[in-house]
Parts: sequence; structure tokens; C-alpha cells
Amino acid sequence: MSEKNKAYRMADGYDALSANESAERWSVFEGFHPLLNYLYFAYVVIVTVFFLHPVLLAISFASASAWSVRLGGAKALRFGLIFVLPLMLVATALNPVFNHEGVTILGYLMDNPITLESILYGVCAALMIGGVILWFRCYTSVMSSDKFIYLFGRVAPAASLIISMTLRFIPRYVEQAGRIASARRGLGFDVSSGGFAQRVKNGGEVLSIMITWALENAVDTADSMRSRGYGLPGRTAYSIYRFDARDGALLLVLCALTTIVCVSIFSGTVNMGFFPLFSMNATSAPALVAYVCHAVVCLSPFALDVGEDFVWRSLQSRI
Amino acid sequence: MRSALTKRTVFAALLSMLCIPAVIAVNIVFFDDRGYYAAGLAIIILSMLPFAFAFEGRKPQAREIVIIAVMVALTVAGRAAFFMTPQFKPVVALVIISGVALGAESGFAVGALSGFVSNFIFGQGPWTPWQMFAFGVIGFISGLVFRRMSASIGNAGAAAPFVGHDESVRLGWNVRAKRKKERLRIALLCAFGFVITFVLYGLLLDTAALTMFTSEISGNALIATYIAGLPFNLIHAVSTVVFLAFLARPMMEKLERVKKKYGLLR
Amino acid sequence: MALVAVKNLSFTYPERTEAALRDISFTADRGEFVVVCGKSGCGKSTLLRHLKTALTPYGERAGAVFFDGRPLSEVDQREQTSRIGFVLQSPENQIVTDKVWHELAFGLESLGEKTPVVRRRVAEMTSFFGIQEWYDKKVTELSGGQKQILSLASVMAMQPDVLVLDEPTSQLDPIAAEDFIETLKKINDEIGVTIILSEHRLEGALPRADRAVCMAEGRVICEGSVTGVGRALEGMGDPMLSAMPAPMRVYLALEGAGHEGSAGSADDSIVADVPKTVREGRIYLERKVGANRAKEAVIFRPDRAAPLIAIKDTETISSRPDGVEPFIAMKDVWFRYERGGRDIVRDLSFTLKGGEFVCIVGGNGTGKTTMLGIVTGANGYWRGKARVLGLDPKKATVRQLSQAGLAALPQDPQTLFTRNTIFDNLVDVAAAHGKSASSEEIEEEVRRVCELTDITDLVGFHPYDVSGGEQQRSGLAMALLARPKLLLLDEPTKGMDNFFKEKFAAILERLAADGMGVLMVSHDVEFCAKYAERCALFFNGGIVSEGEPREFFSGNSFYTTSANRMSRGIIEGATTAEEIVEYIKTM
Repeated sequence: MSEKNKAYRMADGYDALSANESAERWSVFEGFHPLLNYLYFAYVVIVTVFFLHPVLLAISFASASAWSVRLGGAKALRFGLIFVLPLMLVATALNPVFNHEGVTILGYLMDNPITLESILYGVCAALMIGGVILWFRCYTSVMSSDKFIYLFGRVAPAASLIISMTLRFIPRYVEQAGRIASARRGLGFDVSSGGFAQRVKNGGEVLSIMITWALENAVDTADSMRSRGYGLPGRTAYSIYRFDARDGALLLVLCALTTIVCVSIFSGTVNMGFFPLFSMNATSAPALVAYVCHAVVCLSPFALDVGEDFVWRSLQSRI
Repeated sequence: MRSALTKRTVFAALLSMLCIPAVIAVNIVFFDDRGYYAAGLAIIILSMLPFAFAFEGRKPQAREIVIIAVMVALTVAGRAAFFMTPQFKPVVALVIISGVALGAESGFAVGALSGFVSNFIFGQGPWTPWQMFAFGVIGFISGLVFRRMSASIGNAGAAAPFVGHDESVRLGWNVRAKRKKERLRIALLCAFGFVITFVLYGLLLDTAALTMFTSEISGNALIATYIAGLPFNLIHAVSTVVFLAFLARPMMEKLERVKKKYGLLR
Repeated sequence: MALVAVKNLSFTYPERTEAALRDISFTADRGEFVVVCGKSGCGKSTLLRHLKTALTPYGERAGAVFFDGRPLSEVDQREQTSRIGFVLQSPENQIVTDKVWHELAFGLESLGEKTPVVRRRVAEMTSFFGIQEWYDKKVTELSGGQKQILSLASVMAMQPDVLVLDEPTSQLDPIAAEDFIETLKKINDEIGVTIILSEHRLEGALPRADRAVCMAEGRVICEGSVTGVGRALEGMGDPMLSAMPAPMRVYLALEGAGHEGSAGSADDSIVADVPKTVREGRIYLERKVGANRAKEAVIFRPDRAAPLIAIKDTETISSRPDGVEPFIAMKDVWFRYERGGRDIVRDLSFTLKGGEFVCIVGGNGTGKTTMLGIVTGANGYWRGKARVLGLDPKKATVRQLSQAGLAALPQDPQTLFTRNTIFDNLVDVAAAHGKSASSEEIEEEVRRVCELTDITDLVGFHPYDVSGGEQQRSGLAMALLARPKLLLLDEPTKGMDNFFKEKFAAILERLAADGMGVLMVSHDVEFCAKYAERCALFFNGGIVSEGEPREFFSGNSFYTTSANRMSRGIIEGATTAEEIVEYIKTM
């Protein structure tokens, strides 16, 4: 395999790894203001992680699965089956093996009691882990680096600028490494042949050249920043996003629904306890309201996408 | 770039120490002391915030920002370049070097941001904050422990060109004596790298994983997790040693040079 | 009134004894387009960096810089940021963020402008430059020329009064460079922004400039209108003259500097008729050659009389009576990067013998560099036959090829420097290629090559502490220490000034005389026309025409030297200013 091809492959690999945005299907939700995107993910992830309520978790997990498959298609499905599902099985199995709390003993494993409560907890933990991982997958496809930098450009301007610069540097470095390898090849130093020690040495030289190059050239970048006034007091953060009425409406609806869920959690309308005996709130009307609210929130992006499919189909049928 | 801690950072560190018990209290009262994972997550995010405020608060200059961005990019590219060897990664080594060469605060920034940005590529997940925290703290501690090392390693001279034969022999002796001391320092750095990778990164992330999986952190469960993680953590620690052994001297030389040439010490 | 004025400025870098700037004075009026020229290392960059405090280097300084009537030190940072725009040399390094929109807004963010203001200014600038489609792109997706335009636009968004540009086109190919200078002219004409530009590629910039400042060794040697400076240089017999546009050189060589041309003052009264562009040059030549114009006139360069070699004849060259096997022999070679992909090199046949210096010219993306990759074995061709120094590059290892005598100099010499001094870098290569040699022998060889490439005084420096041209020379020295029989050069004259180009050509000619084969890939038509033994035009993956440079370039109509374009139809067959002058003088 030639050097150039390798460099190309590396670049491809990088793209495949980084540009999940482009690989994924566009979601209506992406069109909303980044603040809305961010708050949404904050809500679903926090409720999923902090509150191990079986019903809420099941809703959250189901919604995350549906949306991630909608966004990522077959690739997401494979990811779920190969990576998430086994992880969840391990989580379910692991808890009863190590945790022997609970009063409902189902049997013994190597003299240790296996309890129903512990298994139930394992199932919930598994739903939590699976849910969070899938939510993060959706997050990655919806929250582009632009959006993140926009949101945090105001709170943490230096850090978000570093992130933006890093994202510019990385592909440059990958490309430069390929160039260095082929330049050295031209002088008779080959990275891909020779003994192991020789290869490591040559690879190290490529790295060393690249690091020097990166550090020395960075000073130009700093000059360019200073020349354009970086460091003056009162720096603002420009945004290409606008908060419009549609954003406001959705935010209002989501806020109302999530408030209901949170109030239900803190007031104990929705509650659960695993040990010593598993207990859960009764399926009362207020609890049902909380479930429905949670479900509407979790499913809203997915529902928006499916809704849009219908709209487009009807629009196209008229053409 | 300063190597001593600013007051701001000290204040930040104290603040975070106050926050942590508060989180634990909230956890016990509202969540029945079961959500270990949630509590842990809250704690590490809270303890990173003060560092972030301290960093943003002192308004780092363009050159410092660029150097940090370069180190983060190199670290992330390094992680990506070794994608085919799980656990065998140069990340911790590079973070340690950044901490030593650029100071504790910048070390934290490089570590935490590397953890974050590399997950733009590898996928964000519940592990992101833990990785950010572990890398950040490693960078921070390295900066504290080896505050004076960077200059002494980075400045080992190269023989002058076209000097007469006798002269180069004389210079050679000088350099050799210097090199011996330097080798000792690097060995020390490697040992430090091994321990901190194993303990701070390995054990911390294993513990974090355990809190996700189980409701009860028992001694047995911990031991079992650590044993299961042992080979991975060993490989990781060894890779840190290997990368430090190869990279520490040249990297610090380069960083010292850039710091000096472009007046970062001013 | 002068917008920018430099008065008696002297400057010395720390730990250097030689002053970088000595007693420099010059002014730029509102709306003027000023070109600062001079060979690399003459202090152009140092001077320009003094025009903005944020970029001023550390060191010892005397004299003063005035902006808009005030000492620059009294103009606050905010005002300087917005009113003095600065564009640096490297398109890659000066872009800070990963997205085009963010880059465009960067300066305005620093100035604390609110989002609606930024949005409007950015919108205005993208429309002015015609770059709306880039707005949402990643910076990585842009070409080098586009990146440089982006840098310019992001500076222009701050609405500066003066634009200072430090060799902005030196990393670009000629077409992108021309576009960039054209854009500058547009800014100058339509917005009235004052422009101070340093350049070594003067063909494009000088005709568009109002005034020129010529520097040498840290001093201003002459200043004035472009034609005045040309005359002054001719009067002084200064080597800087060779960097002037071909029409100017022809005129000055034939008409002389005029009576007033003297150092320091360029008299503007006798100008007007000095041609700067090809168009003006043609008018002048028409008039000069006049009635006795000889359509069929052909000038042969005395030392280079070789017949035109059409592509079909390559076979015959390779079996010329001297019978040695050619260094490169390619027949019907095809290459693509991936299976089922497009062929980047198609049906390529090419031969190069020892002692030959061959240039391959052609536009961007035609596959020139890919062809070099086939020769080095980096690109494995899938059809056809290729032999390099008796080896099949596809099968031979890098080591075998290197031992057979193949060496390549990459476009960017910064990809080669492993060690902390140039000397150590050279020794590394020399030692790797002369295993049995003793350290004295190696040092001796390094010394010899250093003298050849004129870097003896630089070897103690860190490679990044010397200028771009000096880095290029160090890279060349490294390539030569690999003891090549066949030397491949990828765009070596990029960023070289005209003075070193001459020296560089002399080095190559000497190497070729010693029997080395030299294959050079280049955009630099002027260089190839002047010095190559054979030129080939690369297009769409293959060589479409090939021949001795004079014949070759006079056969082209557009892709040719400006001297040839200027004399086409008036004097046939002249490709350089010197040839035109020679012809007219002997007429």
C-alpha cells in the first residue's frame, strides 16, 4: 500500500470518525435553536441518569432507541445490537452477582443470595446505561461543534475558542503527517519497511517533525489572532443562530411538560425504592400524567421528524 | 504561562471541595443514597467548574491559547492515530508533558479539553466527564509535581557545528554528564506516569463504570472490577511509560524553545 | 497627507549584531497602492511588522512610525486592530477557527461588535468578494488561494483604512496569486483602501501599484513611482532589476535608464512610456521593431540548439546513440488512487536521461505531483511499464531506490527537519547515505554541499529560525547529501526570490553537467523557460507536448512566459526578456 493511499485512508478514517453529522440523517430538531437542543439533551440525560424509575427509564430508553435508529439508520441499529445490548445484559447480570441486598431471595450462587430486588435494580441500571449512550449518540448527531461553540462561546470563550482551533488543527495534522512520511521517503527513510525497531524509529521521526512544525507554525496563528484584536476587552460571540417564535413555542411547551415531571419526582408522586423491598408509586392519575408528559418530551424530536415526513410527502404529491 | 498557582486557582480548588459534600448531602436526602453514578457525575462536573472559571477568568493570551490548542490537537490526533491498539495511547503522556512544560493550570486545560474534543471523534457518552476529569487532574498534578523539570530537560544543549575535533570531545563530556542527570529525571517522570495512569485514570474510570452498573459498591465488587480492568490499565500505564520515555525530552525541548523564542515566559 | 509614515527607523533583533533595518523612511498616502520589494532577508517583513504594534518584534529600535499623523505607539490597540489590517504570508497558519463564518467574524468579535452588526459586515464582505457559498464550509475544504482570500476578507470585515500584506502570494500557484492581486486592486480601486504589499513575484503586483519601495540589506535603496524605480535600478545596475516585469526589463535594457536615474531619487518626470504590462510591452515593441519586423525570425540560444522533440519521438531519444539506459523510462503508464476511481495519470510516456534537466509544467490538479509519486514508487501504477534507475519503482523498496540514487525534494522543506540545527539535519542524511564514511569525511561532504547551496553561515541555526528561502536551500542540501543520481524537485522555486532562483539554476546546471538527472515539476513558467533543457506540458494526466523550452513555449499561446506573450507575432521564438533584447540589438 502506497504512502499516499495510506494518508488518504487516514483522512478517510478521520472523516468517518468525526463527521457523524454528515453520515446521519437530518433531523427537524437540528433546525431549532442550539439552546433548545442543549436544554433538551440536558433534561433527558439528567432524568435518565439521576432517577432510576422503571417506567420513566423505559420511556426514555424506548424514545432514545427510536430516534437514534431514525437518525443513524442501519448503522445505529448495528451499534445498538453489537455494543449497547451486550453492555445492558452485562449490567443486568452484574448487579445481582455483587449485590445481595433485598429480601426476596430467588436462589443462591456460590453461597451468596441472588435477590429479586437486585435483579430489578440491574435491569433499571441497564436501561439507564443504554438510554444514556443512545441519547449521547443522538446528541452527537444533532449538536454540531458549531452549536456547542456558540453556546459556550459566551460562558467559556477561551475554552470554546480552543476547541474550535483544535478542530481546525486535527485534520491539518493528519494531512501533514502523510506529507512528512512521503517527504522522508524521498530521502530514503521509509516508514513502512525495515525491521520493527527501524520502523518505530522512522515513525517517531515523522511524529517529531510534525510536532516541531505544529508548535513553530502556531506562533503565526497567535500573531494573526493578536493582529485581529484578540485580547481586547469586551469580546463578543457572534452567532449564526436566531431564536425565533417557533423556538420560543417549543421551549414553552417543553418547559411546562418537564416542570410537571420534575414536580412529580420531587413531591414523590412518582417514586421508587429498590432495597430492602422493591416499591413503586401506584399507577394513579397524577403519576400517569407525569408518565405522559415525560413520554411527550422524550419522543418530541422523533415525532417532529416523522411528522415532517408526512408533510413532505403530501407536498410532493401535489407537485 | 505560569508554573506557580494563582490565587484564583487555589480559591477555585477550595470552592470545589465545599461543593462536593453538598452534592453528597443532596444525594442522600433526595435519592436515598443509591445514585452513586449520578452523584459521582455531579461531583466531578462541579469540581471541574472552578478550574474552568479560573482559566477563563484570567483571560489567557493568544499565544498561550494557541499552544494549548496545539497540544490538545496533538493529543487527540495521537489518540486517533493509535485507534487500532486499545489502551495503548499517547494521551496521558502528552497531557503529563503539557502539565510539566506549561504549568499546572494549562495542564488541566489540555487534559480536560483533550478528553472532551477526542470524544467529538470517538463519540460523547456518559464517560466523557470522567475522562475529562481524569486527564485534567493528571495534567494538573504533573504541573505541580514537576514544576521545575521542564527547563532543565528542555535546555540540554546540542554540540555546536563545525567545531574542531578536540573541542567536540570536550563538549561531549559536558553533554554526557548533563544527559545522565537528565535520564534520571526522565526515569522519574516515567515512574510517575505509570503510577498516575494506573491509579488516577485506571482505577477512577473503573470505579465510575462500576457505579453505573451496580447499586452497592462493595469491596468485592470493587476488587472484581479492578481485577477485570487490570490488564487494560497495565497496558495503558505501560504505554504512558513508553511514550514518556520517547517523547518527554524532545517534546520539552521543543516546547521550551517555542516558549523562549516567542516570549511566553515574559 | 501621509496615512502611514516611517521616519528614520532602525531595528536590531535581540542577540544579533547586524541591524535588520537601517534608517528607513517612507510614506504611504491615503488610497495609494505601494509595493515593497527586495530580495528575501532584506528586511521587508520586519519593516511591515513595525506598522502594527501587535506584530512588532522584540529588539532594539530607533526612529518612529506614524499613523494618521500620530505616533503609532499612541494609537490604541482597538483603533489599530480595526484601522490597520494585516495579512500574513501563510494561508494555513493565519486562519484561526474551523469554520469560514467564524473566521470572518473573528476580528469583529474581538472589537466587541454585536451580532446584527457582525452579520451585516460579514454579509457585505462575502458579497464583495463573491464568496457566499463558502459561508457554512469548513476551512479545510478551501484551497490555498481561497484560504488567502478568506484571510483578506476577514481583515476587510473590520473596515481598515490601510491593508498591510506580507508576501501574501508566495505560497500560492500563479493563477491563485494573480487572482489575489486582482482582488487587492479591486479593494484599492473600489473602496479606496491604502495598500502596502511586500512581494517577490512582481509581474502581477508592480503594474497595479502606484509606487514602489525597493529595499536591500535593511535599507531603502530607491523609492518612487514604479517606472521611476525601474529606471533608478537600471541606473544603478542593481540585481533587483531582474525581478521586474519582462516588458520593463526589455524597455530599460534597450532605452537605458534615462539621464536622471540615480540612487535614492527616482525622477518621475521622464516616465509614462515605460511599459509595465504585456499589452503596453507589445505596443512598445511594435513601435520599436516597426516596419522591418520579421515574422519568421527565430533566435537560437547559442548553447542550447536542440531540435523540437514531439511526444512521438520519445522512443528515439531513449535509444540515442550514446546508448546508456535512461534514468526514467515510462511507457503508457496509468495510475488511480483507488479501484474504480478516476485515472489521475493516464497513458503517460516519458523518458529522462542522465545529465538532463527536465521541467514539467501544467496547472493545478493535472497530476504532475502524482507523476513524481510514480517515480518514487509511492504511487503504484496499474498499467504500463516504468523503470527508474534500472528498477521497477512499483516493486523496488524505498531503500533500493535510494541506494540506486533516487532523491526527492518535497514542496515544503519543513517536512524534513528532524533536528535542532541545520547542521545536525544535514549530518543525519549524510550519515544515513554514507555508512562506511568516517565522521571527518561526512563533515567534509556536508561542508562541500553547504558551500554549493550557500548555507554555510546558517548551519548553526535552528531550521525554523531562518527564512523560507533559506529553509528551501537547506532542504536542497539535504536532498543532495542523499547522493542522488536522479533528483526530483516538486515546485522548488515557490517562495524563492529571483536572486536565489538564478543561483539555484546554476546549481542545477552544474549537477546536470556532472551527469545527474534532474526532474522538476513547477508552475514557474519563467524559470523553466530560462533554465530547463527540456519542458513538458502536463494536462489531464499525461504529457501533451514536450520540447526544448524556446520551441516549446513559442508553440504555446497562453501558457507561456510574459516575454513570449509580449513578443508573439512581432518577434517569433523569443521566450525571455534577454532574448528579445538580444534580437533587437542584433537587428
